[in-house]
Amino acid sequence: MDKVLSGISKRATALLILILFLGFGSAACRLFYLHMIMGRELSEKAVDQQLSDTTVSAKRGTIYDRNGNVLASSASVWKVILAPAYFENDSQRHYVAQGLSEILGLDEKDVFELASKSESYYQTVKRKVESDERDKVLEFIDKLGDKYERLTNVIVLEEDFKRYYPYNDFAASVLGFTGADGQGLAGIEYEYDSYLTGVPGRIVTENNGWGTTMPFEYQQKEDAQDGNSLVLTIDETVQHFMEKYLKQGIVDYKVAEGAVAICMDVKKGEILGMAVENTFDPNEPYVLASDEAQKEVDKLTGTEKEERLNELLAKQWRNKAISDSYYPGSVYKVITASAVLEENAANLNSTFYCSGSYVPYEGVEPIGCHNLSGHGSQTFGEALCNSCNPAFMMMGKALGMDKYWEYFQSFGFNSRTGIDLPGEGTGIFFSEPWGPVDLAIGSFGQGISVTPIEMVTAVSAVANGGNYVKPYLVKQILDANGNVVETTEPVVKRQVISEDTALKMSEILEKNAAEGTAKNGYVAGYRIAGKTGTSEKIGNSRKKNVKDYIASYCGYAPANDPQIALLVYFDTPTGDAYYGSQVAAPVFAGIMSEICPYLGIEAQYTDEELKYVDTSAGTYLSMELNEAVAAVEADGFEAYICGEGSTVVAQVPQSGASIPRGGKVVLYTTENSTRETETVPDFTGMTVAQVNETAYDYNINVSFSGAVELDTVYSYAQSINPNEQVAPGTVVTVYFGNNDVDDTVM
Amino acid sequence: MLQSYTYNDIESFMKSKRKKEEPGENRLPAHRRPRTKKKFKLLAVGEGLDLMFLGLLVLLLVIGLIMMFSASYPYAYHRYDDSYYFIKKQVIFALVGLAVMFGVSFVDYHYYHKAAPFAMAAAWLLMIIVLLIPTEDNAPKRWLNLGVFSIQASEVCKLALILFFANWGSIYYKKMHTIKYGVMPALIVLGVTGLLLYLEPHYSGIVICLLIVAVMLFLAGLPLKYFFIAGGAVVVLVFILATTGMLTYAMSRMDGWGQALEYTTNEMWQTTWQTRNSLYAIGSGGMWGLGLGQSRQKYLYLPEPQNDFVFAIVCEELGFVGAAIVLTLFAILVFRGIQICSKAKDMFGRLLGVGLMAQIGLQVVLNVLVITDWLPNTGISLPFFSYGGSSMIMLLAQMGIVLNISRSANIAKE
Repeated sequence: MDKVLSGISKRATALLILILFLGFGSAACRLFYLHMIMGRELSEKAVDQQLSDTTVSAKRGTIYDRNGNVLASSASVWKVILAPAYFENDSQRHYVAQGLSEILGLDEKDVFELASKSESYYQTVKRKVESDERDKVLEFIDKLGDKYERLTNVIVLEEDFKRYYPYNDFAASVLGFTGADGQGLAGIEYEYDSYLTGVPGRIVTENNGWGTTMPFEYQQKEDAQDGNSLVLTIDETVQHFMEKYLKQGIVDYKVAEGAVAICMDVKKGEILGMAVENTFDPNEPYVLASDEAQKEVDKLTGTEKEERLNELLAKQWRNKAISDSYYPGSVYKVITASAVLEENAANLNSTFYCSGSYVPYEGVEPIGCHNLSGHGSQTFGEALCNSCNPAFMMMGKALGMDKYWEYFQSFGFNSRTGIDLPGEGTGIFFSEPWGPVDLAIGSFGQGISVTPIEMVTAVSAVANGGNYVKPYLVKQILDANGNVVETTEPVVKRQVISEDTALKMSEILEKNAAEGTAKNGYVAGYRIAGKTGTSEKIGNSRKKNVKDYIASYCGYAPANDPQIALLVYFDTPTGDAYYGSQVAAPVFAGIMSEICPYLGIEAQYTDEELKYVDTSAGTYLSMELNEAVAAVEADGFEAYICGEGSTVVAQVPQSGASIPRGGKVVLYTTENSTRETETVPDFTGMTVAQVNETAYDYNINVSFSGAVELDTVYSYAQSINPNEQVAPGTVVTVYFGNNDVDDTVM
Repeated sequence: MLQSYTYNDIESFMKSKRKKEEPGENRLPAHRRPRTKKKFKLLAVGEGLDLMFLGLLVLLLVIGLIMMFSASYPYAYHRYDDSYYFIKKQVIFALVGLAVMFGVSFVDYHYYHKAAPFAMAAAWLLMIIVLLIPTEDNAPKRWLNLGVFSIQASEVCKLALILFFANWGSIYYKKMHTIKYGVMPALIVLGVTGLLLYLEPHYSGIVICLLIVAVMLFLAGLPLKYFFIAGGAVVVLVFILATTGMLTYAMSRMDGWGQALEYTTNEMWQTTWQTRNSLYAIGSGGMWGLGLGQSRQKYLYLPEPQNDFVFAIVCEELGFVGAAIVLTLFAILVFRGIQICSKAKDMFGRLLGVGLMAQIGLQVVLNVLVITDWLPNTGISLPFFSYGGSSMIMLLAQMGIVLNISRSANIAKE
């Protein structure tokens, strides 16, 4: 019996050893391995799973114009997120899909599909939801919580920001636009994305398996740092005028491929305005702005449609002002002439004889001038004012190939200007080897290509005493509180010509704008210096046997102390007029006439001009009639009385309106007398004197625009269409210019 | 010495022993002796309860309750809006269990001698009843709901098996080497039990029962060769079941075994969710743990942390050190239990007590191996820690038996 019992005891001991060593031993080893050796790896995975890292979007900085007008800003919107993993059955999914689709205007089926992704905790239902819809979603979440207690976390609203461009297509090419995640995709938005974006904040919380926070104080919060704001050099008013005149020009001259205007402070390099038409609305960058383009796309199907759409979108986003290169044509004569003067290859007294054509190099066909009968003998200045191609071929020859190439470089045409915008293109010189014929045509701006921004910057250098400044668009960078973080200092890159040469050029160019081929760009009182250009377009034209042109005008003012330079550029005018002097010059003049006074450039009228200078009408209301008449006459106007009363009850033009000296101020003495109307006459094709006479007969005031002191100008447009009924005394602006063609292409 | 041993043999043997120790004492068996002759001592030395064992047991039970509460309250709150949902019930189960344990500790274990075959029959009957109760959606049929708590049939079965083989072994000790007395009864009892568990299905139950029977037969002196034969047979059987596809449920539980951390398919990722989060919890504990109550994984990452995976939360909160202390306490409990029971004065007591303690040890080891992904996730609870009324009360009742054995075991007591 003892043996038996001790046998059991032995086996029990054996069993004990087995359980303790093999069993508990292996369990302990396994635990040791998991705790101590795998511990780090496992706990990291656990933490990954437990921590929820929520990004708090930083508010994107605002973009202001130089006067603090908001051009682009961000406002809070919300993103609706669905966490379908919480759903327990399809009836819940249907309920939520129905509710959300109703509020957000989505297809219920699509939402249900999202809700059916039963493993997911993050399905984006809709982005950029604005506050009214957000409120409804919040209400729905409450309702949902009452109905299904366990579904309180199924819908989540995340704060997000939406970019607003309050002026729609205003300066769109400069501003660019942002993508769905608020990232800059074009223009300033892209170039300064890192400044504008800010630093997104994070909220790290420990979440339980159901995605709600745990009862630990583990929340770590890093506040979002809002993005910096930008103050542009753009002046909203300047930009506005530029866009207005360009749009009108596109309509008037049936311009097919858009237009560009760049206004630059010649001393600092600040870009006061950069208008690119036709453009797009950065609020909706993916919508084709042009109805025609949209129609074209609508006709197509499948991949063809997609490709074409992408092509057209890329085209509408393209900033022609900095990306397109074109033959500068005669505008480039400014550069050639500057180089020639600087290098002393010719001087102001040199004469050039134009017979109507010129053989630049023995054995080649003669190259003609736009004036087929020839300009005859001309001085240096006259040659530029005539925009005479043979004269410039001679100048080019005198300058020589090496110097020509040197000045092409020093004026910055083969290197980008470095303006703070993405996608800047560069000019293209003749491909090697280039020869004397190339030199000849290059002298008058054919065969070499430049970008509009390069052209205006080069002309600005001439205006700025030969100092080539770097153009820029961002004046200041502000932090989120409005403190200045960075101020852009103007950069003079190099002196390309001497001040003396620059002064000489300004004199010639002023003369050119006053009475030469550039006179359509003249604005009375502002001493415009300018040069027109017409060039054949690079590449294929739209139709066979039809040449496409680029009409441009580049000038600056005032010539004696240049402050601003303006380039106007029309791509492919398809109307009867396509010369720079016909198309670009009047638009140039229109813009200059608005922005020069606005920018406070002091008008310096010649005596001749003074006759046509407008004066502001005073206030004559409530005056006794005889008193009022005396006041009108004292102001230099003529009084015209309507009605039989004794007191002035109304006046046309209104107080402060501009009318030329000697214009009529209509004084109404009885209320019903204001019903009197006059018919606007057709002023087209008249001389200044004829316009004056006609206006007087019709009791209409005329404001003169253009180089009216010249005898050779005729009116070509008026601000109020003929035959419209207007009150007597209404001011009609009449635009004068001439139809002389300036230059030609090969 | 006697040639064969029967209940009567042992009784007379014990009487003679006692006679020697206590000359002139009553010849009745200990449990039949009038109580008046002995001072009543609840936690008495001498013939009282083994204090060390009892102390360890209560210590483990208290730690178990605390940890189960810590592990379960987030889930309880989430599921039942009541953080105390599980602990309230578990404390009641523990109190009932302790009462049962003390009650049982006064019942002379020799009463179970004759009850053993009936206990086995009763366990089988219970398992048949459980099988007849319909459940939803092909859920395993393991439970008999008694309103207050449910009885898991296999819990009863485990005790019945220990009783049955303790009885059998004590009677047929000499014949254990024969096929008729040694192998056949084991095969029959295991076969019936295994079949019923297979029908439930409850594969981990089969594994536990198999191990318990093996332990009992080993203790009872079954020649070792049979273990090797049986081991081979099990391998063959599993192989056959696996190849015929009858093991699909078990296989589905075993799918992903050992691969909890590797992403293969989405479905597999879901299947191994519990094991993976158990590993995350253990690994997060490190050496010293996150601190009591500081587990992250119990926040709805580790599903049902109150059940089989409660020890993963222990590991996370108390670290390797805490886990090792708990394991050591269990090891000492098992050691002390087996030490006591292997000194029992008769064969039945020794077989019964050692068997019961072996069961505790086996369950602890298997549970730890499951939560550490060394065994498939099959549903083996941790004694005194995992939530569950029938398990708690059965285990404490079993400890009552061990305590009763300790009363009479010839072991030095403080």
